[in-house]
Amino acid sequence: MSDARIDGYARALFEVARAEGTIDEVEDELFRFARSFESSDELRTALTDEQVPAAKRQAIVEDLLGGKATSTTTQLVSMVVGSGRGRDLPAIIDKLVARAANSKDLSVAEVRSAVALTDDQQTRLKAALANATGKQVSLKVIVDPSVLGGIVATVGDTVIDGSVRTRVDQLKSRL
Amino acid sequence: MILANLFAADDIDPARSVHWLWPEQAELIYGSIASLLIFGALWKFAGPAIKKAMAERTQGIQTELDESAAAKAEAEAEAASIRQAAGDIDAERQRLFAEADAQAEAVLADGRARLDQEVAELEARAAADIASASGRVNDELRAEITRISHAATEQLLSSGAIDDATQQDLIESFISRVGAS
Repeated sequence: MSDARIDGYARALFEVARAEGTIDEVEDELFRFARSFESSDELRTALTDEQVPAAKRQAIVEDLLGGKATSTTTQLVSMVVGSGRGRDLPAIIDKLVARAANSKDLSVAEVRSAVALTDDQQTRLKAALANATGKQVSLKVIVDPSVLGGIVATVGDTVIDGSVRTRVDQLKSRL
Repeated sequence: MILANLFAADDIDPARSVHWLWPEQAELIYGSIASLLIFGALWKFAGPAIKKAMAERTQGIQTELDESAAAKAEAEAEAASIRQAAGDIDAERQRLFAEADAQAEAVLADGRARLDQEVAELEARAAADIASASGRVNDELRAEITRISHAATEQLLSSGAIDDATQQDLIESFISRVGAS
C-alpha cells in the first residue's frame, strides 16, 4: 500500500478515535495490537489471508479483542482487516500513534522491556527520555521477552539500548 | 841354469849348431831364406786379403761402434724423453690432483651452500608451520571458547537467571543513565 493510502487510513482512524473521545486509550490499545500482530505469524496469517472471507477475519478480530479492548479499537481494527488492509495494519497504527503524539506536540517513545514497567517507572522513564532527547514523549511500552533484561527505547531515529540482549550480542561478537 | 847351459857352449863344432836346440848354420840360413820367401809370398798374395779383411773388420768394428753410439744416443734421447715424459706425467698428475682438489673444494662448497640453503628453507618452513599451527590452534581455541561462551550464555539466560530483582535493577539503571545524559 502506498504511503498516501496508509496516511489516509491512519488519519481516518485517528479522527474516529478523537471524535469518540478515547484517543489515548485507543491509541494505546492499537499500538499493543500492532506489536502482537508483528510478533505472531499465526495472527498475521489469519488476518491477511485473502482466501479467508473478510467476515471471518473480522470475526477473529472480534474474538481476540472483544472484552479486552474498547469497542472503538475493536471496530477500527475490524474495519481495516475487513477492507483487506490487514497487512498494513502495523504501519497504519504507527502513523496513527505518531499523529496522536504530534497532535499533543509529543514524540512517540517506543520502549521494549523484558518485564512490565510500573507506573512510577514509566513516569520517571518518560522524564528521563524527555531530558535525553529534548522532546516531550508519549511512552509506548512493549513487554518483549527477547530483550532478556533492561530496556530499549526508540524515539524517532534515536535508539537508546540498555538491553541484556544487546550486551550479550556484543559479547558474542567480541568473542 | 838351463839358459846358462843353452848359451854357454864354447866347445861345440862351428859347423854344427852352437847348441843342441839351434839348427845348423846352413839350415838356419836356408831356413831363414825360405821363411823370408814364404813371408814375402804371404805378404804379396795374402797381404791384401788380410789387409782387406782387417779393413773390413775395422770398418765393421767402427760400424758397430757407430751403431752403438747411435744406439746409446738414441737410448739417451729415449731416456730423456722418458724422463721428460715422467716429468710431464708428474706435472700432469700434480695438475690433475690440483684440479681434483679444486673440483672437490667447489663441490664441497656448493654442497655446503646448498645444505645451508636447505637448512634455512627447512627452518623457515618449520617456523611457518609452527606459526600456522599456532594460529590454527589459537583460532580453534578461540572458536571453542566462543562456542562454549555462547552456549553458557544462552543456557544461563534461558534458565531464567535474570531474576526480578536484577530486572528491576537493570530498569532503574537504565532510567538513571538516560536521565543523567
